[in-house]
Amino acid sequence: MAEGGDVEWELSKENIQPLRRGRAISALHQALSQQQEGDSSAINQQRQAFESELRMYDGDDLLNVWDRYIRWTEQTFPQGGKESNLATILERAVTRFTEENTYFDDPRYVELWIKFAEHCPEPLDIYRYIQAQGIGLKQASLYIAWSEEYENQGNCRKADLVYQEGFKKGAEPHDKLQQFHKALQARVSRQVMMNVEEDDSDEEPKQLERVSLAELKSRGKKKAIAPINRVGSAIRSVHAGMQSHAAPALGNASNSKLVVFDENKAHAGPSEPKLEAWMAPPTSKAKENEQKPGVWCDVKIPQKTKFGHTVMAPPPPKPAFQPFVDESDQPPTMTPCKINPAVNTVLSARKPCREDTPLKRLQDHHQQHNEAVSGKRQEQSMYCKELLLSGATEFCFEELRAERYFKKMRQEVGGQKDEASASASASN
Amino acid sequence: MTGSNEYKLNQGPDDSISAVKFSPSATQFLLVSSWDGTVRLFDVGSNTMRMKYQHSAPVLDCAFYDPTHSWSGGLDAQLKTHDLNTDQDTIVGTHDAPIRCVEYCPEVNVMVTGSWDRSVRLWDPRTPCNAGTFTQPEKVYTLSVAGDRLIVGTAGRRVLVWDLRNMGYVLQRRESSLKYQTRCIRAFPNKQGYALSSIEGRVAVEYLDPSQEIQKKKYAFKCHRLKEEGIEQVYPVNAISFHSIHNTFATGGSDGFVNIWDPFNKKRLCQFHRYPTSIASLAFNNDGTMLAIAASYMHERGDINHPENTIFIRQVTDAETKPK
Repeated sequence: MAEGGDVEWELSKENIQPLRRGRAISALHQALSQQQEGDSSAINQQRQAFESELRMYDGDDLLNVWDRYIRWTEQTFPQGGKESNLATILERAVTRFTEENTYFDDPRYVELWIKFAEHCPEPLDIYRYIQAQGIGLKQASLYIAWSEEYENQGNCRKADLVYQEGFKKGAEPHDKLQQFHKALQARVSRQVMMNVEEDDSDEEPKQLERVSLAELKSRGKKKAIAPINRVGSAIRSVHAGMQSHAAPALGNASNSKLVVFDENKAHAGPSEPKLEAWMAPPTSKAKENEQKPGVWCDVKIPQKTKFGHTVMAPPPPKPAFQPFVDESDQPPTMTPCKINPAVNTVLSARKPCREDTPLKRLQDHHQQHNEAVSGKRQEQSMYCKELLLSGATEFCFEELRAERYFKKMRQEVGGQKDEASASASASN
Repeated sequence: MTGSNEYKLNQGPDDSISAVKFSPSATQFLLVSSWDGTVRLFDVGSNTMRMKYQHSAPVLDCAFYDPTHSWSGGLDAQLKTHDLNTDQDTIVGTHDAPIRCVEYCPEVNVMVTGSWDRSVRLWDPRTPCNAGTFTQPEKVYTLSVAGDRLIVGTAGRRVLVWDLRNMGYVLQRRESSLKYQTRCIRAFPNKQGYALSSIEGRVAVEYLDPSQEIQKKKYAFKCHRLKEEGIEQVYPVNAISFHSIHNTFATGGSDGFVNIWDPFNKKRLCQFHRYPTSIASLAFNNDGTMLAIAASYMHERGDINHPENTIFIRQVTDAETKPK
């Protein structure tokens, strides 16, 4: 391996987001060196090219353009982050095809949904939503990703049920689904064995204990930030390392809280996820910090005396002495503030609504589409709105027209070349 | 339809009109840039075309530097200056992508261009040469000069205010107070604020002073909407032009209407008759007695049949433009 190129990527390893399908080392080198030089014009040009292709495309496989665009974005912005705009692109891409049944069992489309779900705070809601919409029901990858999400949240029973659902629907490829299912079963049984051992070894009360230095489970792409419950299910369970344990533990059914799935008994399947029509957005669940943010400066904590009535804390007494100040001490020089933060608030009036989750937006889109079809809309935009907004960034009329102009120019140049070569060959 | 106070210009462009601009000092000279790749100079008093020059691609904007020099740029990404006396072209420089807007700032004596390459570039008009490139967060869609302030409207509904005497940092970063794409920004002649129009039938009036009392005065209103069979049709508001004396402004939309607004009393002063197609650009002349109206389809609904592109010159009276 070449020494020079490798150093760069060694230095920024921790900034590279892992990808399911891995990264091309050449693309990684290129992306990192481009960022080092701060040269964004090439990236912008490429992005613009994708955006215009999305609008000018007249073939019958638009998903292909989106798919290439998203792969390019992943490879070009190894850090992910805001400037990659990946979350928006994914959202636009999946929203774009929600009405096109032909793509519902396309592995590429399902792949986009999985990536999108991974960028959402509540991936499970997304999986349930697309199941209700009938997207990707025959794709093994959907069930695998869905099950992994359940497993990450510590719900192995549900994770198993998802595989059952996949088998029932006849998801393809079957081998892959089975392989991942077996791996899940192996992990679960290993966990059970570990639990059994713990139960045997100490009879301490099962009170939840705060575990220090434990890795916390993150929800969605968010990193877990303290303060957060550091007990119970919030802690990512560690599966590493098979514990050697006596075989009888396996048979000790009374100890295992978990029913390990047995394929042969599958017909008696006690419960299977029911497919329900998705009418209203689900209420968001599993939120720990429910307290709404509020103004802090006026808040006082009431303090109780031992007689039971509340008093306000007395103001801190003024010091009776003069604090020593060094004579040479100058007030710290302030760098001039470019924008007065006190008045900055008025300048950005529109704040993003907190309740606006990706799922909510998806459903709004669905509803709007239905309204448009049934002609219930009160307003009509008198311009080609679809074209301006069909990418991840917006275009104006002039840009669209410029694209058409450039396309025509290229065709004319191509035509002239053809003519020139034709006449040249004729003269020969 | 055309009354005695209004007439069409002869020898207009062969394709859509992108901008009309009046001369800063002489009342009768009008620059017109077009998608046919030309910039034309008209004498509107005698209704004749005085001159035209050619770019290698459609021209998106033009501006006067002084009465004898025009600057223009477009899809070929080249910035050209043209001497209107000697009929000579100079290519001043280039952007990395098409040039969308060209403006002149007399206070700082600098030409300003904005481009889809996400940058604003300044040009010294005397040499002429590049005087700096300033990266914007998004593609530049519109810009306007208010004294020594530069107001830039970009994709993603962002508005940036720069100080042209000190381009070291952005003075203010704002978000458009309108929900949809920014079409046009024009500064008040009194330099206190600007009017911003959006693609969905709305105009906002905003102030530059960030203090809260002043910011409280900002507002937005709906316009250029037509009700048809119970459905409200919403048109883009493409053009704004301020009356230099009264600080009132005209807006033109894709509905083909031109309205004149009194921003202080929040009233509409008048509405002209409906023009045959979209209003692409508007310009008051320097003493506010004439309004140039470019009625030209902008392909906002795709490449369809449309009425021909026309420039109307309308005499306007104080009754139509003065706050009551």
